[in-house]
Amino acid sequence: MFGFVTVLLSFSLLPAQTPPQKVEPQQPMGGASTGRPATYTSRRTAGITDPNAPVVFEDVTDKTALANFRHVSGGTAKDYILETPSGGVAIFDYDNDGRSDIYLLNGSTIAAQQGKEKAPRAALYRNLGNWKFEDVTEKAGVTNERWGFGVAVGDYDNDGYADLYVGNFGVSRLYHNNGNGTFTDVAEKLNVARRGWSTGASWGDYDGDGRLDLFVPGYVQIDLNNLPPNPSAAGKDGVAQNFCQFRGVPVMCGPRGLTGDGDTLYHQKADGTFEDVSVKAGVSDPEKFYGFSSVFVHVDDDKLLDLLVVNDSTPNQLYINKGNGTFEEIGYPSGVAVNENGREQAGMGLAVGDYDNDGRVDFHITNFSDDSNTLYHNDGDTNFTDVTFQAGLGEVSIPFLGWGTSFLDYDNDGWQDLFVVNGHVYPVVDAHQWGTSYAQQALLFRNLKGKFERVGAQPGSALASAWPGRGLAIGDLDADGRLDLVINNLDGRPTVLRNVAASTGHWLRLKLIAKTPRDAIGSVVYVTTGKTRQRQDVFSGAVYCSQNDLTLHVGLGAATKVDKLEIQWPDGSTEVVDVAGVDKTITITQGKGAKQ
Amino acid sequence: MCAMKPQQKILITVVALLVFASFSVPVFAQDGGTVLAGAELTRVVPTSFYFQGQSAPTQMRNTAAARFGKERFVIVGMVDTSGYSAEIRARYQGFFITDSSITVGGGTLATGAYGFGFTNDGKLNILDLSGNQMLSVSTTNDKALRRPRPLTMMMDGSNVRLYAGRDYVVIAAK
Repeated sequence: MFGFVTVLLSFSLLPAQTPPQKVEPQQPMGGASTGRPATYTSRRTAGITDPNAPVVFEDVTDKTALANFRHVSGGTAKDYILETPSGGVAIFDYDNDGRSDIYLLNGSTIAAQQGKEKAPRAALYRNLGNWKFEDVTEKAGVTNERWGFGVAVGDYDNDGYADLYVGNFGVSRLYHNNGNGTFTDVAEKLNVARRGWSTGASWGDYDGDGRLDLFVPGYVQIDLNNLPPNPSAAGKDGVAQNFCQFRGVPVMCGPRGLTGDGDTLYHQKADGTFEDVSVKAGVSDPEKFYGFSSVFVHVDDDKLLDLLVVNDSTPNQLYINKGNGTFEEIGYPSGVAVNENGREQAGMGLAVGDYDNDGRVDFHITNFSDDSNTLYHNDGDTNFTDVTFQAGLGEVSIPFLGWGTSFLDYDNDGWQDLFVVNGHVYPVVDAHQWGTSYAQQALLFRNLKGKFERVGAQPGSALASAWPGRGLAIGDLDADGRLDLVINNLDGRPTVLRNVAASTGHWLRLKLIAKTPRDAIGSVVYVTTGKTRQRQDVFSGAVYCSQNDLTLHVGLGAATKVDKLEIQWPDGSTEVVDVAGVDKTITITQGKGAKQ
Repeated sequence: MCAMKPQQKILITVVALLVFASFSVPVFAQDGGTVLAGAELTRVVPTSFYFQGQSAPTQMRNTAAARFGKERFVIVGMVDTSGYSAEIRARYQGFFITDSSITVGGGTLATGAYGFGFTNDGKLNILDLSGNQMLSVSTTNDKALRRPRPLTMMMDGSNVRLYAGRDYVVIAAK
């Protein structure tokens, strides 16, 4: 009876509703995660120049052997999501000769995955100095020849030689550096041959046992024998298309609507093998968010490494280390899960650094076009505030689809600037006047004491060029005290950018050697000059599936001496190191001071 | 006792129902809302939803439900439309199910299952399953809200606020 009355109420006694109206589609919008419709009369992501802008970077790719590298990732139509996000790049010194080398991941093709053609190979370039690089890939044994996405550097066995973890679609690899110019894939032997779609991993000793552990995010579950519908099939033979569109145009499907891939934490045991402790540690990602980037870093400065995972179109996850082998996920209460308006964004890349010199580590996350990138300021006590627009990084980033991002003090003024690599995933954007483009200019922002200002691109300069960029790595490739960059571009050759900034301050390069983990991942350095106290962290991964040089670079501005250099080593101990002079590379060994 | 004619019986029944119903309205209006959580929430949320020729899986992390009285439910959830997809998300973000008549942002919504979308210009549109607009109401922006989420419900007196980020509408029993 009660139900009957309810029905009667619902259909008989209510005031008549407004007659139904057919809703016409609104102004098309992009970026599922946030997105604001924007109408432009010209592209905002390519060809934007300023004749008065300084020349900061010179494209020296053609002068190097890297010009011979060709990244390949599926077909040009980009029918499937698998074909769009590769791949990473690492800058690291694999042979300990003091020069930073370069490792570029390659993609693959579906035909190669099915054994119908040869897979493209990754490439290792040995830095010979003076911008000469030698392709040593075959000799080193790091061709990979799988669909590569992420690379993370860590000396997991503390033998003094940097090892490589390569996150692949399919089976991932751990390339052990044999110390003689060659590597051996030990992933299967050591139980880290992760299956699935692995992306931007990070090394870190989360449990303080002196051995590096490994976190690997997973992206999407893809079955090559049962691929989602591609754009050219949309609308035909009953293939639905209205859930795989961008601004009303059929595009490849995903990640939304596809099943995500969980994440994996490998704990290194005393015998050097690894065990999967993802579930026990509470970081397995049971909701299967679409993971792209990760980093072990000190968020709450309790001397326990915490973990941030950047996810595409799903909330970011911040795991606070509880010190007992487990983590507590606090993405939402901390403020980093979503943007200031509570919207999930298409997280891609991750910059890690203390941009406002307040002693705490902050995060910058790149997102999809029609959406801004996001700068999360660390307020302390695991609270973050989205300060994107206040910091000057909001409006300018909206037409861009961002990937690799990193803080770097390109002008050595003592403030961390910001670099962002961009490029769209849908080739069809070039056929429409949507304000965006497939190849996009990179963005360089100068840090003006906590606020950012875009550095213009002089016509014809490197910053005026547009690339379908993905991975990014930062390092001083010519050891001249100015940070250089390498960009891994989708379906093309990489870009090597030499820093030629005319007016820069003093600097220090710091190579840290800890007792264990020997490569000092997890260390925090505080450099005081006058009233400025800078913080820099030694971390593995982040950026976007890439690896910056583990050698820290500190801009000192006009200071000609360091007043205090304090190091918090991975074991939590602190050490104050005397530094004489500036503008040089210093190796600091835990407990033994600086070798200058 | 004289026998009643059939027409008289029908008239009396209808009048009785109307009288009963008229008493029932204030009872429902007094039913306060309760925001559901945990197992009580997952028990009522469908795992997928049909709209305009498509079924899409529910984003379980972005669902919310309220109970008015003992057994009247309003269930809202975002669905996983594919990709960085386009305009369909602008007008259709998920499902809105109510098993009793309610008001949403002051507008009346009858029992039923609908699609919904929050727009960037401060509207909540509710659509029937073929995409016809059934209701369009203005939303309120809550600038003071700390840690907004993609979709959530919060109590507002005896009513319930449905939030999408910082934008909300008030849902009340009728």
